[in-house]
Amino acid sequence: MTDTDLLIETMDGRVRRRNDRREMFRMVLGAAAVGGAAFAFSSPAAAQSVTDADVLNFALNLEYLEANFYSYAAFGTPIDASLTAGTGTQGAATGGRKATFTDPVVAQYAKEIANDEIAHVKFLRTALASAAVAQPRIDVGIDPNGAFSNAARAAGLIGPTSAAMPTFFDPYADDVSFLLGAFIFEDVGVTAYKGAAPLITNKTFLEAAAGILAVEAYHASIVRTVLYAKGVDTRNAATKISDARDSLDGSTDVDQGLGDATNSNIVPLDSNGIAYSRTTGQVLNIVYLTKAAVSAGGFFPAGLNGTIKTSTAQS
Amino acid sequence: MHNTQILSEVLERSAQRRDERRAFLRTAGSAVAIAGGASLLAACGDDNNNSAPTPTPSPTPPPTTGVTDADVLNFALNLEYLEAQFYSYAAFGTGLPSASLGGIGTQGSVTGGRKVNFTDPVVAAYAREIAGDEIAHVNFLRTALGNSAVAMPAINIDGSATGAFTAAARAAKVVGSTGTFDPYASDENFLLGAYIFEDVGVTAYKGASPLLTNKTFLEAAAGILAAEAYHAGLIRTVLYAKGVAAPSLRTAAGQISDARDSLDGTTDLDQGITSSDTTQSNIVPTDSNGLAYSRSTGAVLNIVYLNNAAVTMGGFFPAGVNGVIRTSGAN
Repeated sequence: MTDTDLLIETMDGRVRRRNDRREMFRMVLGAAAVGGAAFAFSSPAAAQSVTDADVLNFALNLEYLEANFYSYAAFGTPIDASLTAGTGTQGAATGGRKATFTDPVVAQYAKEIANDEIAHVKFLRTALASAAVAQPRIDVGIDPNGAFSNAARAAGLIGPTSAAMPTFFDPYADDVSFLLGAFIFEDVGVTAYKGAAPLITNKTFLEAAAGILAVEAYHASIVRTVLYAKGVDTRNAATKISDARDSLDGSTDVDQGLGDATNSNIVPLDSNGIAYSRTTGQVLNIVYLTKAAVSAGGFFPAGLNGTIKTSTAQS
Repeated sequence: MHNTQILSEVLERSAQRRDERRAFLRTAGSAVAIAGGASLLAACGDDNNNSAPTPTPSPTPPPTTGVTDADVLNFALNLEYLEAQFYSYAAFGTGLPSASLGGIGTQGSVTGGRKVNFTDPVVAAYAREIAGDEIAHVNFLRTALGNSAVAMPAINIDGSATGAFTAAARAAKVVGSTGTFDPYASDENFLLGAYIFEDVGVTAYKGASPLLTNKTFLEAAAGILAAEAYHAGLIRTVLYAKGVAAPSLRTAAGQISDARDSLDGTTDLDQGITSSDTTQSNIVPTDSNGLAYSRSTGAVLNIVYLNNAAVTMGGFFPAGVNGVIRTSGAN
């Protein structure tokens, strides 16, 4: 299993079975047409020409962001400096602080998720070895013009800011603010890994990425479940964030809020019960907080490191 | 976007890029070796002791044992029949419509299952939501498989003394050797009943992901994997939160996890909802790399057949699953 030849053999097997697959496609797609759109996939990214290393490095940038946010919230510090070097321009993760938790269970969740995200950074860095990108600059602060405040403003959670009357969003202020801050990222990670799955050619990396995808979905579920249980105000705030994400990432609806008092919507799924995908460009629309095609902004003031770094121009 | 032409093109491209991949593999493989074996590759084994160096990896059988994508999707369909029936009965008091049950193999019926009289309306809402999702998975897989879809096999979701849930709960020592476990009796029992399946679905889809050759199916399976992980996260979070007032729920979840682990072989692929430090949550079962676990199809069948031997039926599937993947692992 851990042997290069074995992996190559596995891939050769795949090529040999191409014809089988094609037959399966035709059969299935025919059935889908009859059944009425079972295969409405949004995977334009599948046609891009990127390497596995490019994809894993893209993921590593996102993990740097998540790991630093949760690490500040749970422990009061960014991730260890030894985990931040690599190719590209290294930057600091600034502005975070230890969150003020009231509910001990929420504090435990923060610590658990922080450790998982730090493990993801370590894992991807080890997998990529000398090809790993450095941590880029990351803004997880509470400045009125910082990424969290801009995201919250885009979602309508806080009003316009001015020098005289600054408004800001502080995800470290209390339990609910922390959960809403976490909510900004969590489902994005799920859709990013799902969208990237077909881009990964190596089966071993694929299975590993599936393992991270699952963990991000568990995290997202924790955050959504706790926000839902905390009542109507937090539900509505989360739904506004979901709507803001959806307005950034293009005209297709790939995001969902938490539902209402009668009908929960902890799991954001399409009509087939399948989680959504986002292209890398759509993911960058959200973390750069822009509908335009740019290569820096929002939570990544100097952009991502690596070859995948440009958001998509959305109408 | 959704046509055969493009899919075939993607496949062609994937073939053309084989050499690139090989080069990357060699690079990645040697880099990992240099880094001392805390490796990506090790992470993909069944063992959670991933920090152990693996200087001379001994090849194990590859996951591609000649199964087709249809075989894998049909395996998943069997599991979705089980989950959908359980949640549908618990939430609505009825099973799947008969139009959703036919197919290849022997069609069976459902034994047991009834509506839960929920006390907590939030738990009731979660049950309805998950039921809807699992029914959608059944419909999706049946549509994807078309004429190749397997029929629903006989399913036992009975909460009586002779039902599969009781057998599972006895094995887990959640109830005594003569006790009864009825997952429809209360909110708490429903959550524990759901817990028996949920993480298994996650590990099953993750383990199956490298078996799928078609990228479209792969992305769809990744989407179902995510849905199952959301479900599992939901159930675990609610059990953990209710465990503040009712610690026995956390204990029971740990016992069920241990029972799953004892059925599916010697490797540790399962975790309860508290960590070894009992003041710390463990909502997400992960290895030391922060990755969810994989289960082979055989290990999944050990759990749903409630048997650590190589058998073709038992537990929740009294007549076995339909399709070519149907034998549990010999553990």
